[in-house]
Amino acid sequence: MDVKGAARRVLAGSPPVLLVTLPGATAERLAVEAGLRERGWPLAESPAAAAALVVAGEPSGPHVEWLGTLWSGMPRPKAYVTVAGAAESGRALDAVPRLLIAEPLGAGPQPGPPHGVVSPPEDHEVPESHGGHADHGGHHGGLVAGLPMAERADDRDGLRLDQLHLSLGPALPDWPTGLIVDVVMQGDVIQQAEVRPVPGGPPAQGSFWNEPWQRAARGEPVTRGAAERRRCAAHLDSVGRFLAVAGWSGPAARARRLRDAVLGGAGREELVGEVRPLVRQVDGSRTLRRLTTGIGPLPAARAKSVGVTGPALVADGDAHARVCVWLKEIERSLSGLEDARALAVDAENTENTKNTESTVGPRGRCDGLLSPSRALLDALPGLLRGAEFACARLIVASVDPDLDELQGAGHG
Amino acid sequence: MAESAETAGTAPLWAVVLLPVVLTVVALAAAGFDAVLSAGAEHGRGAGRGARTLRAAVAPVREGIALLARQRRRTTADDAALGRIGIALVPLAAVLAAAVVPWGFRAVTDPVVGIVWFNAMEALAWAAVWLAGWGPNSVLSLIGGYRFLAQGLAYELPHMFALTTAALGAGSLRVGEVVRAQQGMWFVVWMPAAFAVYLLSACAMAFWGPFGHPLGRDVAGGVVAEYSGVDRLLLLGGRWLLLVATAAFSVPLFLGGGHGPLLPAWAWTVLKTAGVLALLIVGRRLVPTLRMERYMEFAWLVLVPLTLLQALVVAVVVLNR
Repeated sequence: MDVKGAARRVLAGSPPVLLVTLPGATAERLAVEAGLRERGWPLAESPAAAAALVVAGEPSGPHVEWLGTLWSGMPRPKAYVTVAGAAESGRALDAVPRLLIAEPLGAGPQPGPPHGVVSPPEDHEVPESHGGHADHGGHHGGLVAGLPMAERADDRDGLRLDQLHLSLGPALPDWPTGLIVDVVMQGDVIQQAEVRPVPGGPPAQGSFWNEPWQRAARGEPVTRGAAERRRCAAHLDSVGRFLAVAGWSGPAARARRLRDAVLGGAGREELVGEVRPLVRQVDGSRTLRRLTTGIGPLPAARAKSVGVTGPALVADGDAHARVCVWLKEIERSLSGLEDARALAVDAENTENTKNTESTVGPRGRCDGLLSPSRALLDALPGLLRGAEFACARLIVASVDPDLDELQGAGHG
Repeated sequence: MAESAETAGTAPLWAVVLLPVVLTVVALAAAGFDAVLSAGAEHGRGAGRGARTLRAAVAPVREGIALLARQRRRTTADDAALGRIGIALVPLAAVLAAAVVPWGFRAVTDPVVGIVWFNAMEALAWAAVWLAGWGPNSVLSLIGGYRFLAQGLAYELPHMFALTTAALGAGSLRVGEVVRAQQGMWFVVWMPAAFAVYLLSACAMAFWGPFGHPLGRDVAGGVVAEYSGVDRLLLLGGRWLLLVATAAFSVPLFLGGGHGPLLPAWAWTVLKTAGVLALLIVGRRLVPTLRMERYMEFAWLVLVPLTLLQALVVAVVVLNR
């Protein structure tokens, strides 16, 4: 009888979730991802595909606007929940089915992101909204339906082609948290790229992935094993993201599951048995190598000149080389999981000390003036210029900057 | 071979109604199998495996029903008509292509140019995906649409040579004749290269698996990024129908159609189709998504000469018969 109602109950049984992570909410993101896996709910790739907007972190003023845009782009019925702390994720997700069943389908106001949400003029149609949507300001080609027309400019071959100003992020799937890349595109080739963090600034508490090193720097007792555990998980997270962007969902899912197992304190023996086959498969894939060599080359000399210190410097090469360095470090970290020696972070250390491995976090040296991800972000525009869209996504994923590290850093 | 006195011909009229239903059921089974394998990668060998497997097996049915509960969606300054025509064409092309696939020895229709008909339906899918990507006036959708055109450029030529090779072996473009020609020996035995290339292009024309770049995760779903509700259901469901139709067509082309011992002909068709689908679904997990800018080189420098050579060998054999 009530077909719509029955269909809605089915939807509430496993709603596709658009997971948006706010700066500083890595722990919450991981908790939500684990919760989704446990429930068997799919991750939506775009607002159109999502029935629930789950925000990891507590949205404040500057986030409300873009969250509102995402929200208004979702078709009804839909639900909105925030996860302010990792421990709350279960309760927040459990609320989603109830919200979906209860949402009235009429045109009334919807319980979306808090005050200040820009409600679209209700005319039955949901407006476009996306991870990448057109920049509305400062163009001259006239407007069509409120959107600017494309301008024209010479492309790399000297042809005069349309160019489009876009912002990539912050809500693209498998995209670094809080990153926005403003690009000028011709066709699907990126002519110019500029990098900026999402408005609102980095979190006060610093990066989740650098936590052991930060605690050691504050003088707290941290074992090397704990630091290696965090490094291993950070790289598994990056590898999972890269593989997801490369369209290899099986190994990506395995990398993420193992990341959670590593963080959950699983024993070395148990982990090695599962991590090693994954590393072999990814490292040994000739197809992946053919698809990703030559993309986003970052020679060591150039990396050094912008201050890159971590795996991206070691890799001394393209996207594939960077992923291989992650894989190597994952295996190395695993063997150091039970190292009970204290992690000594010595701020006096300079470039060439033997002690560097204890001050190098997942993305680079944590003791310098420049945070490792600041350097990665500085290198990014040069890598993206001239890249085709799919390659640009692979480049960003292979660098995987952690914008939570920008805390306290000078420029940005 | 048991059923040698086959009567290649057309099925009764009710088969027209039955065809989309059968296609949908097979597609749901295939998608369920795919979901079970994905759930395995997601959860590993943890506890509660049985329940999760069961849940994953019916996930495609659930997702399909859930999409019916959802509002359709439009974007600013879109071309809704073109987009929706494109979307509707995807399942339509799949059903029309499947019309020439014989179940057992009978197809819904068996025209003289059956193979050409099948190929034409796949060209229709090109238009369909491109239109669906164009419709929403969104960058990511459009990039997805473009990707499918590039994909067509890469896979179509080797694909057509593979089809031609099977037709050459039978001396006919009628699918029924191709099946009859395999009474003694399946074409896959002496046309292995053509068969392998056909399997690749089966995935490519269904824009699925390693060839799923037009709907890639990196473009937030690409062609399908802006669609919800029924539109999304038709496009994603249509993709599975297309995959089933192309996989099923490999059976009369290379795997001897309904020929086989003991079992009735229709059962052989079903078994062989299931085998091909399983091969594709398991095989797709071995590789990441192929980007056409890299695949193109392989397609034109390796696959085109390979299929031409295969066609040459078959032509020489046929001439000396």
